[in-house]
Amino acid sequence: MGKAIVITSGKGGVGKTTTSANIGTGLAQNKHKVVLVDADIGLRNLDVVLGLENRIVYDLVDVVEERCRLRQALIKDKRYDSMFLLPAAQTREKDSVSPEQMRQLVVNLKKEFDYVIVDCPAGIEQGFKNAIAGADMALIVTTPEVSAVRDADRIIGLLEASELYDPQLVVNRVRPDMVRRGDMMDIQDINDILAINLIGVIPDDESIIVSTNRGEPVVLDQKSRSGQAYRNIVRRLEGAEVPFMELEDKGVVHRLKALFGMGGKR
Amino acid sequence: MTTEACVIKGNRHGLLLSVMEGAPFVDVLAQLRAKLSAHREFFQGAVVRLQSGSTPLTDEQIQQLSAVVQEFGMTFDGTAVAPSQPVRPAETTTAHRREEPLDDTKLVRRSLRSGQSIHYSGNVVIMGDVNPGSEVVASGDILVLGALRGVAHAGAEGNAKAVVFAFRLEPTQLRIAHFISRAPDEKGPHPTGPELAQVVENLIQIKPYEKTQ
Repeated sequence: MGKAIVITSGKGGVGKTTTSANIGTGLAQNKHKVVLVDADIGLRNLDVVLGLENRIVYDLVDVVEERCRLRQALIKDKRYDSMFLLPAAQTREKDSVSPEQMRQLVVNLKKEFDYVIVDCPAGIEQGFKNAIAGADMALIVTTPEVSAVRDADRIIGLLEASELYDPQLVVNRVRPDMVRRGDMMDIQDINDILAINLIGVIPDDESIIVSTNRGEPVVLDQKSRSGQAYRNIVRRLEGAEVPFMELEDKGVVHRLKALFGMGGKR
Repeated sequence: MTTEACVIKGNRHGLLLSVMEGAPFVDVLAQLRAKLSAHREFFQGAVVRLQSGSTPLTDEQIQQLSAVVQEFGMTFDGTAVAPSQPVRPAETTTAHRREEPLDDTKLVRRSLRSGQSIHYSGNVVIMGDVNPGSEVVASGDILVLGALRGVAHAGAEGNAKAVVFAFRLEPTQLRIAHFISRAPDEKGPHPTGPELAQVVENLIQIKPYEKTQ
């Protein structure tokens, strides 16, 4: 029996879909059987980010309404044979599916896959309720902005009300230079409000935009810092203890000092 | 308002409406309407029971009270409750209320997140934070054993002696009875210790908490 993880945020545009694609791809990279479920019916994106748009024949609503078998709607990833996408319907609306139908779908997927990653739509209405139905765990994506953190807080409360406890926090688009100048909330400020476990910090990175447009998740890029941050999240999901990486490049002197155990916090 | 014709009190079962001995019924109706409309949202959904004084009310009068109560979205429980103590005229009652703290206290053993709220007739103690976007409304005092960053309304039924206490008092907005204050628009220094808010000379005043108070 696999594990179902919902990626949610409340606010739109904070990086739910990017995070879903990267965590899914990262898990597949580490030889897990993964299925990504796009629960954003009517505004599907996950297929585009993964570069699988042109392969869609059937979608989630077709499966729920039994126009096709589950297996027929699953699209195999370009790069990894162990990863599949269940795309959302683009021409339908959120209420085409009920939470009970979603729960059943997730149960069926868990029988076959190690990880079921559900990409949740923004908002707290029907689409959100559908996406969290059947989830065993929630990853909350936020950015260091007051509005995004406020919405994340609301989401945590709603998850608790739905008996989905112990959500994990991903802070996306952190800019160390702005944090240092005091122009951006730091991790401590965010933790003061949300008080949940932190599972990853993703630095703001232009290469994410490039990779998203190309349909190649940044987690595949071994040189990218944001890719490294996503690989760390994947390892933490697997249960490994991975230290949080230093977001700021402090230069040669600092690194040499650290090498000789003279400086730094660690 | 020098003489009060009716008093609304909260207890764990709901609200008790007491009608003063010898008060003209017209005044009772008018004051009830005024009190309910002053805190319309707070009273909404509550159950009201009647506690009549020694002068019994006629069925018609009870009907009229019930109509007013229902008009404000509350339920009227027709069974009159015998007064636990003789209902005294206004001045003594308010003085009496001031000295005796409200007994009912709700203990909340968690944090309130954005969108969550606690409404209670009595005191409220929160063992956790009150986050921005959440609210606590109490007819008595509010104590937050954590950071208060949302909205707090103490003494919501009109008790201006109510206080708000928090380990970190940084509310979005603070209300005590009908007094309202809000956080300054400019970010000031964070409070360093526990603080207490109370009404002093018609203004909500925040001071570091000292045990001797």
